[in-house]
This record gives sequence, C-alpha cells and structure tokens, in this order.
Amino acid sequence: MSAPLHQEDDFKARLDAGLWWKIFLRALHLKRYLIPLAISAVLLAVCDAGFAHVTRWVIDGVVRDGAQAPFAHYILVYLGLTLVLCCCVGIFINMAGNISNRLAHDIRRDCFDRLQQLEFAFYDSRPVGWLITRLTSDCDRLARIISWGFLDIVWGLSFVLMIAVSLLVMNWKLGLIVISVVPPLAIISKYFQKKMLLSAREIRKYNSQITAGYNESISGVRTTKTLVRASENLAEFQQLSTQMFQASVLNARQNALYFPIVTTLGTLAAGLALWRGGWLTLNDDLTLGTLVAFVTFAGMFFNPINQLAQKLTEMQGAQAAGERVMGLLATTPAIKDSPAVIDRLRQTKIEDPQSKLAVAPDGYPSRIETIEFRNVTFSYATGPIVLHDFNLTVRPGETIALVGPSGGGKSTIVSLVCRFYEPVSGQILINGVDYRERSLAWLQSQLGIVLQAPHLFKGTVRENIRYGRLDATDAEVEAAAQMVNAHEFILQMENGYETSVGEGGNRLSTGQRQLLSFARALLANPQLFVMDEATSSIDTETEQLIQRGLATIFAGRISFVIAHRLSTIRRADRILVITQGRIEESGSHEELLRRRGHYYELYTNQFRREREEAVLEAKS
Amino acid sequence: MFSQFAVIWSIMRGHRLRYGFALLCLILATVLNFGIPLIGSATIDYAVAGKTVAPDTPGLLALILRLLGGADHLRDQLWLAPVAMILLAVVAGLFSYLKGWQAALASDGIARRLKDELYDHLNHLPARHHDRAETGDLVQRCTSDVETTRQFLATQIMEIGNALFLAGAAFPLLLSLSVPMTLVSFALIGPIVIYGYFYFRKVKHVFREVDEAEGALTAIIQENLTGIRVVRAFARQDFERAKFSVPNDRYRDRSLRMLRLMAWYWSISDFVALSQIGLTLLVGAWWITAGTFTVGLLFAFLAYLSIMLWPVRQMGRILTDLGKATVALSRVREILSVAREPEPATPPSLLTSPITGRLSVRDLHFQHASTTLNADGRGALNGLFFDLQPGETLALLGPSGSGKSTLMHLLLRLYDYERGSIRFDDRELSTLPRAWLRRQIGVVMQEPFLFSKSLRDNLRLGRGDAPDAEIEAAARAACIHDTILSFEHGYNTIIGERGITLSGGQRQRVAIARAILKRPALLILDDAMSAIDAETETLILDALRERRGRATTLVIAHRLATLVHADRVLVLDQGRIIQSGTHAELSAQAGLYRRLWQIQTSVETELKSTV
Repeated sequence: MSAPLHQEDDFKARLDAGLWWKIFLRALHLKRYLIPLAISAVLLAVCDAGFAHVTRWVIDGVVRDGAQAPFAHYILVYLGLTLVLCCCVGIFINMAGNISNRLAHDIRRDCFDRLQQLEFAFYDSRPVGWLITRLTSDCDRLARIISWGFLDIVWGLSFVLMIAVSLLVMNWKLGLIVISVVPPLAIISKYFQKKMLLSAREIRKYNSQITAGYNESISGVRTTKTLVRASENLAEFQQLSTQMFQASVLNARQNALYFPIVTTLGTLAAGLALWRGGWLTLNDDLTLGTLVAFVTFAGMFFNPINQLAQKLTEMQGAQAAGERVMGLLATTPAIKDSPAVIDRLRQTKIEDPQSKLAVAPDGYPSRIETIEFRNVTFSYATGPIVLHDFNLTVRPGETIALVGPSGGGKSTIVSLVCRFYEPVSGQILINGVDYRERSLAWLQSQLGIVLQAPHLFKGTVRENIRYGRLDATDAEVEAAAQMVNAHEFILQMENGYETSVGEGGNRLSTGQRQLLSFARALLANPQLFVMDEATSSIDTETEQLIQRGLATIFAGRISFVIAHRLSTIRRADRILVITQGRIEESGSHEELLRRRGHYYELYTNQFRREREEAVLEAKS
Repeated sequence: MFSQFAVIWSIMRGHRLRYGFALLCLILATVLNFGIPLIGSATIDYAVAGKTVAPDTPGLLALILRLLGGADHLRDQLWLAPVAMILLAVVAGLFSYLKGWQAALASDGIARRLKDELYDHLNHLPARHHDRAETGDLVQRCTSDVETTRQFLATQIMEIGNALFLAGAAFPLLLSLSVPMTLVSFALIGPIVIYGYFYFRKVKHVFREVDEAEGALTAIIQENLTGIRVVRAFARQDFERAKFSVPNDRYRDRSLRMLRLMAWYWSISDFVALSQIGLTLLVGAWWITAGTFTVGLLFAFLAYLSIMLWPVRQMGRILTDLGKATVALSRVREILSVAREPEPATPPSLLTSPITGRLSVRDLHFQHASTTLNADGRGALNGLFFDLQPGETLALLGPSGSGKSTLMHLLLRLYDYERGSIRFDDRELSTLPRAWLRRQIGVVMQEPFLFSKSLRDNLRLGRGDAPDAEIEAAARAACIHDTILSFEHGYNTIIGERGITLSGGQRQRVAIARAILKRPALLILDDAMSAIDAETETLILDALRERRGRATTLVIAHRLATLVHADRVLVLDQGRIIQSGTHAELSAQAGLYRRLWQIQTSVETELKSTV
C-alpha cells in the first residue's frame, strides 16, 4: 500500500530506445522549436571548430606574409564567426527551453487529465506524494532530457565529427593518431558517469532519510524527552549522517578522479600532436599554424564526449521515471460508460425543456425512485471479501443509517452506491436498471457527499460552497448556507463569505467544515445524499446546528449516512447494523432497541459517552 | 563582511588544516596545469620554429628549455615535450584529485557535524521552544540550509580561492611572459565578472518567481489529489482542469521568461569572452608580424585564456550566491544559539536509594507563556495541593482546560513551575536532573507518538535491554499482543511512515505497553485510553492493578469506567482542586463526579422509557 514517497529508480542497464522514441514523439508537434534547435546545434559545432581553423589561418598568414597579412579579413571573419556563435547560443537556449517547458507542461496536463478520470481503486494503492512526484519532477525531468539531451547529442556528435574531419583533412596520418584517444575517452566517460549517477542517487536516498529523521525527531520531541532517548536517537541519526557523508565523499572522489583522467587523456592527444606534428613541421610537411590547430583540436575532444556520455547516462537513470509517466498516460479508467451507454448518450436528444427535467441524458427517467443492492459481493483489489451477498432495497426518500464496528463494510456500501467502485458480482439497480447501464457522469452529478474529514479547497468560504453548483448566484450560496445553519458563523468570521478557509480548510474546526460541506452538497440539490459522519467530538452548539441542517438535507431525497452520533441515528428511517460485510440487524430505532442485540449495546455505549462528554463540557 | 567570515571560520574548526591542504593542492594543480601550455609554447617557438634563446627570452621558457636539455636537444628528441606535458598533467591530476577528495572530506565533514549538532540540539531544547516553532521550518533549516552551506564550503570557497590565486599568481606569471599581451588578455576579464554579478543580481527575482510558480503548481496538484473524492463527488473534473491549467501555464511562462533572460546572458557573455580571445589572437598576430611576439607565446596565451575564461564567467554567479550561503548559515545558527534545557549532573545519592514514587504537591502555580495557544489562562494552575502515596492510584477529573495536562508536563519537567513546590520522593523536583527524573516516570499521552521502527523497537524505547519475554508480557498487559501477532511480521512489523498505519486505539495500547516495560516508579496516563473500547480498558486497568506494587499511578480520565479503578479521585477546575475523595465519598457529594456517576444509572432507565 504505502510505496515510499522518495522511491528511487532502478538503474536500467539497457537504454530502451522505444520508450524514448515514444516520449520524443510527443515533442514532434513542437517542430517550430525542434528544427531551429537542430540547426543551431549543428551550426554551433561548426563555429566551435571554425575558431581553431581561423587561428590556424591567422598564424599561417602572419608567419608567411608578415605585415602584408589580410588583417581586415581576419577581423571580419572572426567577428562574423563570433556573432553567428552568439546567435546560435541565444537560439538554442530559447528553443531547448521552449521544448523543455512546453513538453513538461503538456505531459503534465495529460497526466492530470488522466488522473481526473481514473477510479478510486487506482488511488487506493498510490499515495498522493507518489503521484505528485510523477506530475512535477518526473515530467520536468523527462522534458529536460528530451530537449537539452537532444541538443547535446546533436551538438556533441556534430562537434566530434567536425573535429575528426578537420584533423583528417589537415593531415590524415596525424589525424588518426590524435583520434585514437577518442575510444578510451568515451569508455572512461561512460564508466564514470554511471558511477557518479549511482552515488549521487545514494546521496539523495540518505538525504530523504535524514529529512524524515528530522521530521520524526521534531514531532516526537516530547516522547524522546520523556523516554530519555536523546543520546540513543542521536547515535542512530549519526549512523545516517555518516552514511550520507561517505556517499558524498565517494561521489566527490569519483568526480575528482574523472576529470584529471580525461584531461590527461586530452593532454596525451595534444602531446601526440605536438610530437608528431612538430616533427612534420621541422620537415616542412606541416605549417606552424596547422601544428597549433592540431594541438588545440586535440584538447577539444573532451567536452562533447563528456556531454554525450552524461546525457546517455541520464537517460538510463530516468528510464524508470519515463516508464511510470508513460504508464500513467496509458492507464485507462476501469469504471467508465460502456459502449452501449455511450451510444444511448449520443442518441438521446431532448428538445422539450419540460421533458429535459424528467429525462436523464442517457434516456432513462432522471428521477431516482429506488436503489437496490442485489446479491452484491465486493472486495478491494487484493484484499479479502468485504461484502458478502449483500441485499438491500431503498425506497423513495428514505434515510438509511449505517452503524457498526469499523472495517465492517459501511464505507464500502456507500462507495458502491456512488459507483466509485463497482460490485465484483451481483448488481446495483437504480429504478430497477443496473447502474452500469446508466451514464456515470449523470449518476455522479446527482450526488451530494459529505465525508468524515470534510475536505475543503484552499479559497474563500463562498468559493467552497459554490463548488456544489458552479453557476449558483451569491444569493443562492447564502441561501444554502442559511438552510444548514452555517450562515451565522460565516458572518462572524473576519471577512464573512470572503474569508479564506486555509489549506484543506484547516482554519476551520471540524464541525464548521462539516457545515460548509453540507451547504456545498445542498447547493447541488442532489437526489442522493451520502454522509460519513465525523467521529471526533464536536461542541454541543455546532452539534445542534448540524442536526438542524441535516433535517433540511434529508427531506425528500434518498440518504445514506454512516452515523456515529445518536441524534443522527435516531433521525434515520431505517438503521442497518453492518458487521463483517453483512446486515446483522435492521429496523427502526425503537425496534432495534427492543431487540436488545448488538444495536442496543452500541447505542448504550455511545449514549453514555455522549452524556459524559456533555457533563464535562458543561463544567461544574 | 568580516563578521561573516568570522562565522564561516568558526564553523570550520577541526577541518581548517584539511581545508588549507585542499586549497594548496588546488593551487599546485593550477600551477602545474599552467606549465603544460608553457611546454607547448617553448617547443613550438624554440624547437620547431627555430627561434634562439636570447637574453630577452622569458625566464620561465628558458628554464623549461634548460630542463628539457636545450632547444637543439629538444629538436632531436621531440618526444621529450609530450612526455613532459603528460607527466605534468598526471601530477596536476593527482593534486586535483587530492583537492577534490580533501575538500569533500572537510566540507561534508562540517555538514555532518552541523547536522548532528542540530539533531542533538533540537532534542535538548526546552519544550516551550518547540511549542512555538514550526516543524516544516525547522526541517528546512536542518536540511536545505545546511546543504547550501555545504555547497558553499565545498565549491564556492574553492572557486573563490582559485580565482584569487589566478589573479594573484597567474597574472605575474603572464606578465613575466609578456607585459603588453597580459594587459590585452585581461582587458575584458573585469567586465565579464562585473557583468555577470550585476546581471544575476538583477534577475534574482525571476529565479524566485519561477520557484514560487513551481510551488503553486505543486500545491494545486496536491490539493486536487487529496480532494479527489470531492472532485468526483461533484463531478467537477472540467472545473479542476481549468483550475490546474492556470498555474501550469504560469510555471511554463515564467520558466520561459527566465530562459529568455539566460539566453541573453549567455549570448552576451559568450560574445565578450570570444571577443577577448579574438582580441588576443589578432593583436598577437599583429605583434608577430612586427617581430615583438611569437607563435608559441600566442599559443600559450590562448591556452591560458581557455583555462581561465570558464571560472571567470562563473564568478558573477558565485558572488551573487555568496549572500545565499551566509543567510542559510545564519538561519542554522539561530537554532543552535537557543539555550538548551539545563542538565545538572545526577547526584550520586539519587542512584543508590530505591525510588518509591511518592509525590507531594504544595501551592503549585503555573501560567502558560503568552505565545502558546493557552494564552487565555486555560491550562493554568492556581494553587494546587495534593499527596500521592507509593503504590496509590490517583485519578484526575475535570473539564478541558482545567490544568490536568499542565500538571503532567510539570511533573516531567517539560515546563518549570514558578511558584509552589513539587516533591518527588521527598526531593524538590526543580533540583532533580531532568533525565534522571524522566527515567523514573512512565507516561502515556492521548495521542502517543510512535517512531517509524519495528513494534519491538518501539516497545523497547523505554528500556533498551528488555528481553523479548518481558516485551511480550508488557504487550499482553496492554492487550496488544494478539493484535501484534496478527500482523504478517509480528513484533518485527514496521509502523509509521515507512510501514503500516495503526489505529488510534492500537497506538494508545502500544504506548501503554511501552510505559509498562519501562517499570517506572510513577506511571502517568493522560487520557490514554480515549480510543480504546470500555471492555479492553477494564482489562488493561486490571492488569495495571496487578502490577500496582511497582508503580504509583496518576490517571487523567474522562470516563467513569476509568475513574472507578482509582483509589482516590481529584476533581480539578480552573487550576484548583475543588473536590477529592474515594469513589464512595464523591458519589455521595453533589458535583461533577456524582453527575457522571448518575449517568450510568440514568442511561438504563432512560432507555427503558424510550422503548
């Protein structure tokens, strides 16, 4: 269930060209950036190599012609080359940046889109933090590799090619000698880049463990103090910080070793050029300028080869991220309209505004009369069976209270009604029709839901209530708040309806959040109301407000309530005691009390608890 | 500026020598690397181009030629030049490796020590300080601010040292080769550094805006995903898509703006750098035609420029980053400068005498600090008197805010009382060392904190050497043994962030077992069974009573079921005791206790009447 948030990728030994091609295809529509990028990368390599040629040309010129050398030409050509190169730099940064950011933006948008469609079961096995990483750093990373990686690979290959061709054209024998350092340079670069990537990953792993360590230590500081654990905790932490220290030093040493090795190889190439080239120059087979150019070129191999090795290694390292993001984009929702429903949706055309109210977009009557569970069995993906052969018929306008121990299946029943999950076997019927033959969007737009930890979005009170119906007027928003008795406390807040509720609504108490979510649900005027009542204690005043609000909400619609408070339970038309996925007892409050069974026991315990709390709250 | 360096100097203690060594290696590597083009230059001019050594030959070149056996010898044995170059490169590489290694040992060593100090310090800060500090902020200071400091120590200091050395040593070296050419070659170096510095300073806010946009984007995604059930419940997918596209677009657009700025910066910076090379090349070429300069020297100067230009172009950014490091370090030091809880040594007499857990509280007063949540007088103590005999179980009853939890914090010396006296085994609490005192007390809070370790390790926190049999016995007493065995890995199950999530009642029972295992002289249960059902609660209380010979017990409770197990009950209100006595005495008096007691009986009758 709980995949670690900072999950580290496996390092892929083989580069999956198919995967990267698939990701690259997503960048193809950015042609207007890709083509200039490729052109500027090649041009840049040409300029980079061109400078060495200019130097050679200048030196040979002045050595041969002295003051008669065409200095004006030199200046012009050099200046021209400089300007072209600077323009190339400006262009490639802009183009690669555009591709990188636009691609990340688009992949992120598509992932977000897909997440909005996926069913709850998908979310059950993936922590929010894990998904956030996919949408933020993974998207950025893939886009960066595609754009800047493309640039570096095109530039690196062109530059290596330019150098090699220059050397071979100037003097092919000497050129071959110098080029002989390229293969070892490439092999060593690749080897070290991989080592460094892996040790950098170790550092990140320890770093996230250290962050978790601080978090735990600060949240648990009172426990640490009372258990007198400070020195033991420190010893444990020191193990971690030492591991991180070792990983960091290892990474630094790999870096410190890599660069001298490749620069020595560069010097070796330059030395070879100087030795053989000098000898050729002495024999007048090579000009002085060409000798200088050879020595300069020999030292230039390192940079492009280092870049190529680095980019290929990065791609190997990011392959797992690529697989996850592409995997997410390829996931199709398991709960969606069947082809038959889509057909019906297409065929149903209602012109008459009167029947528009009576007929749902899928052609069935829009009024929900009855809901029936018929032999429903359900289990979550890998878990045990939660509901066994469950049967229940709900009549028009009925309020059903679900009570019983946690894990008994109450929340499952509610989630099935909302079609957040579908039965593994059996059927759920709306007005006698299997709800899989109805439109999913229609059903879910008929729902009003209040969850145990009522989630509000960051924003104002008004925005949060309006979430229930986006086109509601201010007056309608306030009317809804009034109907659930939230109006008074809203007006008492510093900015009334414009007060910000904080992240997740954390500036409000649980009771206040619940009242706002009532208003939100009521504004949607749902045909089906679903509530998972909060268990945490709410002060008596808010409790009374909530109860009066509930009376408004329950009126005239089918309601399912996972109930804890006695006042809510008593309000229900029918109470179901759910244990181990079955209905243990069912009936009205009085019937069940008279039976003196499980309900009686639950009720008396809750009754006692609420009374005790009331006594303590009332003070002496 | 000077004080900043003093601060950096002070955190480098114990690593300064290593740092000096690393810097020395860096300088040696630079010097040797400078030698390589010099050999090339000497070879080209004197061995290949046939120039002769004259009195005006720069001393360094003459020295190199002498070392290589003279120009004529070198011409015949041309292989000497590359061999010398490679030798220099290898030795320079060795120093460069040593520098990287030693600098990492020093900077990562300092970072590790800072982290350890911070961790230890946080555990020793007074509870009062933790009341007002935010976890997120503290964690950020301990991690990213330390990392910024480390980067500064590992790379920036080295880069700045290297730059200073280049300016201080390379300049004279180049001057010795050719004074006018050195002036030409350095003409644009200054402008590049200044341009970089001011550019980065000016666009600093753009970087910040990109960071902010990224933060906003992450926040929107997080909000959508945590609220996904609400999104579905109202079928608001399209609305959410529209909401998401705003920060998604903004992040892209701001990043692009930053990129455009960077594109300008690097284009211009490249232009200036290339102009510098071009200037050197063309002026050098001109002077060659005049006979005052040579091809070899031109080669050397061009090679030096290529060595120097990259660090010089980075200098502008490094200088702007300097401020960041000092800010980060000052944030770290802010934590370290808060005084720890004073910790006197344990007097030897305490270690020998057996502890009975006798408690005597006289006229106890305490007021919460104005910065905490309880500034309105809630939780204050206003003259508390009571005694607790060894082995006795005392229950505290009272509305929330009456001071029950405050008393518990005072007993643990998490806060220090201002007036009155608490005597623990006839010693004044304020004279007792905190660590010693806390070892004698076992405490279970309403929302107990468990560590992200195995269940066994969590239970053992109270007593590290407890044998497995005792751990199981404690778990049995707290009615958690069977639950633990039902997990796949039993006592080795990891809980918390990296493992399974326990329910509130399970956490409370684990914490009770942890406290029992500690075998404390005084056991405090602060509403510790609020999430445990009544039946299990009775079982646990019975188990505790069997162990009563060992522990004096103080129970803070909200439920009658808990209270009836106590020998004596104190009723607290507004920081004073308003009633006290045994169960029988209190149920005879009018008051809070009797009202609770009456519920028990009235529930039965009320139920009968409703049916």
